[in-house]
Amino acid sequence: MYLQMALRNLGRAKVRSILAAIGVIIGVTAIASIGIFGESLKNAVLENFKDLANEVIISPSRTHGYTVIDERTLMKIEKAPYIAEIIPVKSAAAEITSKKRTISTVYGLDEDDAREMFKAESGRISFNGRCVVGKMLAEALELRVGSKIYVNGKLFKVSAILEAEGARFDINPNYAVIISQEDFDKIFGDGYDMIIVKVKSIEDVSKFKEYVESRVNYKEKVVDVFEMKSILERIERAFAQINLFLMAIAGVSLLVAGVSILNVMLMSTIERTKEIGILRAIGAQRSDVLKIFLYEALILGVFGSVIGACLSFVAGYGITSLIVGKTEYVFSLSSALYAFFGLFFGIFTALISGLYPAYRASKLDPIVALRFE
Amino acid sequence: MKAVELRNVTKVYKTKYYEVVALRNVNLEVELGEFIAVMGPSGSGKSTLLNLVGCLDKPTKGEVIIKGKRTIDLSDRELTKLRRDEIGFIFQQYNLVPTLTVEENIELPMVFKGVSKEMRERRVKELAEKLGIYDLLERKPAELSGGQQQRVAIARALANKPSILLCDEPTGNLDSKSGEMVMEAIREMNEEGVTVILVTHDETLKRYAERIVKLRDGMIVDVSPDGS
Repeated sequence: MYLQMALRNLGRAKVRSILAAIGVIIGVTAIASIGIFGESLKNAVLENFKDLANEVIISPSRTHGYTVIDERTLMKIEKAPYIAEIIPVKSAAAEITSKKRTISTVYGLDEDDAREMFKAESGRISFNGRCVVGKMLAEALELRVGSKIYVNGKLFKVSAILEAEGARFDINPNYAVIISQEDFDKIFGDGYDMIIVKVKSIEDVSKFKEYVESRVNYKEKVVDVFEMKSILERIERAFAQINLFLMAIAGVSLLVAGVSILNVMLMSTIERTKEIGILRAIGAQRSDVLKIFLYEALILGVFGSVIGACLSFVAGYGITSLIVGKTEYVFSLSSALYAFFGLFFGIFTALISGLYPAYRASKLDPIVALRFE
Repeated sequence: MKAVELRNVTKVYKTKYYEVVALRNVNLEVELGEFIAVMGPSGSGKSTLLNLVGCLDKPTKGEVIIKGKRTIDLSDRELTKLRRDEIGFIFQQYNLVPTLTVEENIELPMVFKGVSKEMRERRVKELAEKLGIYDLLERKPAELSGGQQQRVAIARALANKPSILLCDEPTGNLDSKSGEMVMEAIREMNEEGVTVILVTHDETLKRYAERIVKLRDGMIVDVSPDGS
């Protein structure tokens, strides 16, 4: 009965009620669709780094005086059962000379590893006295396949030029020269500067880390272990923060909707003062009056929020396809969660806004209210 | 037990600038099942008396006792309960809830009391038949004549089987014919045992009352048996 009364009272001022509900719809749609968009954006970005999640980078512990990882340590690490792939890397800065001169990074890699990690834009990756050059360095030094360069005075012929790579956290070949590990040893001496390990599954990351700590670092910290996962986690956290911020901005529109509900309901309580007096005279408790008015706010909130939550998928899809381009993440569990979140906030806002007018209505003195015309 | 007792009741309304004494030392007893008329010019304190008996207000001094309960001792919640269960209001302007149908209007006091839907329907039917408004149950108040609206209001006032019916100028907005129908309905209810307190300045309604209480300037100036 209270629900019916509330519904009919809203129906009495249809335009006003619909406008108030539209406010909620806009607010909820804004919050939820931005949430959905942010989530899609995050997923699209993280997808690029997906392979990195089970990557671990081992480097010499420089704080304990180790500048390289020696052969024995590498052999110990190689015995770990969790490894899917292990790439020992040597790297150093060197003077590169062709027609021009520059200082650049030189990597010493196993030929097979190099072929697996990089794609050649021109030429074919092969070492054996030859070298591979990154795209940007090649452009800077005007190198082509077959060009000759000197690395710290030693002559190499360029066998391949690599495709430009996006941001990587382990090896960045764009501005580097890659040579075989034997050649590297001849120029720079023994030892590895970095070992890239890919473990079999993401759960193995911490197990592998423990393994290294107990087998290699048991006496003294020889190597540092860095999980790529932690970078991903940081990216994820940053996105979550940005998302929250955007949603807070969208939340302002919901706040405005709340104020408009407050306004509509205050007007309605004033217009219906006499009716409240009648209800109180024939036996309505204050709590009954409170309920009737809160139902009105609730109906506005539920009505607006449900429509808003549905629209947020449409809007979220629109923004995402416009900005990110990839829409496959729009219809996912997390999006539903954001829609639900928007729904909840919409209803919550409406109820909060309805609270004051309802309270005021319930506090009216029945005699004064009855006399009201 | 009396239906209503007023003992040395004084009611003073205070505003910022002045005080109005609406009732001065009023003593009155109304027996269960009695039909009294309270008469007097406007400003004589009739409405104040009605508000006090109707548990909408409490006296400044003295006590109002409704079916053995002193209203000054009761909280807002308890007063509301007393109104709901023991008192039925009939107003000059009918005061039906415009958004609700006739049936829902009559149900309303029972909804507040927590009566089951089934019981409510049975009671509505019973009252509607008695008051001749059975065919109007689905209509909204705005679609009814004044006399019909007032009969709906009587049905609503009686929904929770109150012992006291407070009527504030019930015929004030009606033509004489519908006024008579309404008064007949009230008399019928009185014959079934409901105490009726009728506030009016319409001299023609005197004949319905067993006793007439005349008020002037907040004081009872005369109590006389039915003049007719």
